[in-house]
Amino acid sequence: MKRHLLWLMAALAVLIVFPFIFGPLQTNLMVRFAIEALFAVSLNLLLSFTGLLSFGHALYFGVGAYGAALILTHLEGIPLVLAVLLSGLAAALVGLLLSPLLVRVRATAFTMLTLAFGQLLYVLCSKFREVTGGEDGIMGWTTPPLRLPGVFSLDVTQPLYIYFFALGLSGLGILAMWYFTKTPMGSVMISIRDNQKRVDYLGYQVVLTKAVIFCLSGFFAGLAGAIYAVFNNLVSVGGVLHIMVSFQPLMAILVGGIGTFFGPILGSGLLLMLEEATQAYPELAQMISGLIFIAVVLFLPGGAISFGARLRGWWQKRAYLRKAREIAA
Amino acid sequence: MNILETKALCHDFKGLQVLFDVGLTVRQGEHHAIIGPNGAGKTTLFNVITGTYRPSGGQVLFKGQDITGLQPYKLARRGLGRSFQITSTFEKQTVFQNIRMGVMSRMGVRFDCWRRVAGLDSVARETEEILASIGLTAEREVLACQLSYGKHRALEVSMALATNPDLVMLDEPTAGMSKEETHATVELIKRLTQGKSMVMVEHDMDVVFTLADRITVLYYGSILASGPPGEIRENQAVRDAYLGDMEFSNVF
Ligand SMILES: Nc1ncnc2c1ncn2[C@@H]1O[C@H](COP(=O)(O)OP(=O)(O)OP(=O)(O)O)[C@@H](O)[C@H]1O
Ligand SMILES: [Mg+2]
Repeated sequence: MKRHLLWLMAALAVLIVFPFIFGPLQTNLMVRFAIEALFAVSLNLLLSFTGLLSFGHALYFGVGAYGAALILTHLEGIPLVLAVLLSGLAAALVGLLLSPLLVRVRATAFTMLTLAFGQLLYVLCSKFREVTGGEDGIMGWTTPPLRLPGVFSLDVTQPLYIYFFALGLSGLGILAMWYFTKTPMGSVMISIRDNQKRVDYLGYQVVLTKAVIFCLSGFFAGLAGAIYAVFNNLVSVGGVLHIMVSFQPLMAILVGGIGTFFGPILGSGLLLMLEEATQAYPELAQMISGLIFIAVVLFLPGGAISFGARLRGWWQKRAYLRKAREIAA
Repeated sequence: MNILETKALCHDFKGLQVLFDVGLTVRQGEHHAIIGPNGAGKTTLFNVITGTYRPSGGQVLFKGQDITGLQPYKLARRGLGRSFQITSTFEKQTVFQNIRMGVMSRMGVRFDCWRRVAGLDSVARETEEILASIGLTAEREVLACQLSYGKHRALEVSMALATNPDLVMLDEPTAGMSKEETHATVELIKRLTQGKSMVMVEHDMDVVFTLADRITVLYYGSILASGPPGEIRENQAVRDAYLGDMEFSNVF
């Protein structure tokens, strides 16, 4: 526990000094990391903790992003934090509205239903040009400063301040979801994953619990989308609702470590680093990420987060064998 | 008074009728056994009583109230617990966590996302007590799927009892157990269901005659006879029905 706290403090210190040491390019990369990580963790709440594979999580990300864009475009003078929170709530509301359908299905049917809803919103947003700007999207609104009246007023269009804004919100969101997994309702969630029938027979309301999880997951995905909107000052169907937006966090979960809470964060970081490293050759990047994906599934099913343990296990086995041979000799 | 009563209960699976006008009565505080050959409809009877399926006809009364077709979680909250013929625990969770799920439900901690589950002292204490009483304290950190078969079955039964139900329904609690495991489980059930109402499906006649105050015989979806063990043993219809059935013929 003490050691964990120490690590946490060290990580925090690094994150705080990061933008002062590195340039705006790296700082912006960290913002994208904060968004991706929050998004992936919110999806992981469904995948690893409720046992539901969603192919349409871009739906919530998109609602949050469009929500923020519309609010900031049309409601001048609204505080930034409020706009972002409202966008998250809009995504949670979508989760609530869809839950009567989503709680009823499991496994492949759930996956297909989420895919359908995701694609539906993609098409709807492409067609409703008056509201969403169609293929062009929404852009060019003036983002209000992050203000605490009388204390500070920060212009989040500057790399330094969007960095703290995005990392702060993302960190709080991830922390909240982590806490949720540790609560009684979190235990019920995990038990639904393991054996839904038994949860029902023990007296828990599976349907209602799932609805809460959909709202929660939707909220944080929407929050990620809203931060994305503020960061990019541009929201388009291709950028926030496309099927690849749903697959990106799935990749992060699988690469980082399915079944763990923190794996998806690691996975998001690794995928971003890979994308940066191969930036000059976009086709190559896709091929490499595909290969890495296959390699992880085949050789490291626990994901990157299990790498240390695997290495230690391998090392111990080697040492053990050597010792056995020495004794035998 | 009857804690459980079914009236003309029928069930069919898309035309295949499995239960015919079943009228089962379980008295308050009694230990009731349901016996019958494979495929008689015992598990199906449990399923329509506990809300897995809605019966295609008839009525189920629990504590005098109509509970026909009520969902399992509602029945659990009214004091009906159930274990399964095919072990159905949270296999990837520890024994402690498995039992804790039952205890949390009993204590009404079902919809709480503010507190840490590890900080719920009364829940933890209660869970430890149950673990001690079922003899699984040493295995508290073992994953359910890593338990020996006998202990996994014992956990299955104990989970049904962890919610402290007024009536517990056990579907073949000793299925597939060795002689020693069966003996230990019988003792466990005897101890845990003391003063409670209990219905069990059971094939092992030694277990039935050790535990049951009354027996109901289900035969091809109909009740053949119902009464105290001595009466069932002497019943001619039951003897005729089981004639030739090795398992039963050496008992009767
Ligand atoms: N879900 C289902 N769909 C169709 N038929 C079913 C279903 N469940 C059970 N049956 C049929 O209903 C009949 C009764 O089955 P049930 O499982 O209730 O018997 P049982 O008395 O519990 O037997 P056993 O002693 O083997 O556990 C069987 O013929 C079975 O094939
Ligand atoms: Mg059965």
